Amino acid sequence: MDLPGPIHEILVLFGGFGLLLGGLGVVLLTNPIYSAFSLGLVLVCISLFYFLLNSYFVAVAQLLIYVGAINVLIIFAVMFVNGSEWSKDKNYWTIGDGFTLLLCITIPFSLMTTIPDTSWYGILWTTRSNQIVEQGLINNVQQIGIHLATDFYLPFELISLILLVSLIGAITMARQ
Amino acid sequence: MFLLHEYDIFWTFLIIASLIPILVFWISGLLAPVSEGPEKLSSYESGIEPMGGAWLQFRIRYYMFALVFVVFDVETVFLYPWAMSFDVLGVSVFIEAFIFVLILVVGLVYAWRKGALEWS
Repeated sequence: MDLPGPIHEILVLFGGFGLLLGGLGVVLLTNPIYSAFSLGLVLVCISLFYFLLNSYFVAVAQLLIYVGAINVLIIFAVMFVNGSEWSKDKNYWTIGDGFTLLLCITIPFSLMTTIPDTSWYGILWTTRSNQIVEQGLINNVQQIGIHLATDFYLPFELISLILLVSLIGAITMARQ
Repeated sequence: MFLLHEYDIFWTFLIIASLIPILVFWISGLLAPVSEGPEKLSSYESGIEPMGGAWLQFRIRYYMFALVFVVFDVETVFLYPWAMSFDVLGVSVFIEAFIFVLILVVGLVYAWRKGALEWS
């Protein structure tokens, strides 16, 4: 199944449309559980983009962590809120909202101006650091694994320490 | 630019797996008799009459399970590329992953001792 150009574009458009729809749903829906589910739609659409960019490992990690774990955590957090609490607050336009709006408009525009100016090929220094990778017989996930195990073994161990700290912190906070 | 032929089996699996629930709902909608009433629209609660609203506050205790799950989910994602490249790199990376898992086992033992893994 090798998809030609038009189908690829249609899938990108479909993903972008779902992304916009989900994002608007997160902001505009008044029921927080619906907002949480549309956040799930946003994360699935981002994962679709990763699939279309041929980075399957990132796509699957996105689905597994963000949709499978983080979004479930958010839905859990919504379920802890008492059902009648969220419907009472009125819509007041405060200074904080204006500041947030300004920030949210500034960030995409600054990203849109900086992304074309950055030379992304300078970041690819990891691909030529190891001779095992250059054999060309291995797939993408194996390359990630090799880099994790050889070049980045210290960050790899530090990740487990960060996970340990977050686990212990979560347990102590939840027990209070 | 868009390479999918490596994952033919996966896409076939995905299509079949999503067709099965659609077919099941379609067949049951086709065969089941149409009966409107308050009983049909009420939520199913193991055969007994549902009482109270669906919007009730959950206990904060369940949040801890979700947090522990997130941590071990991230661990799985990091162990998967290690397992895939294990035959290329040999036994030396086994020690790295052993330390990685060992540090997280400390967290698991801590969660266990603090009673974070018990339902009650």
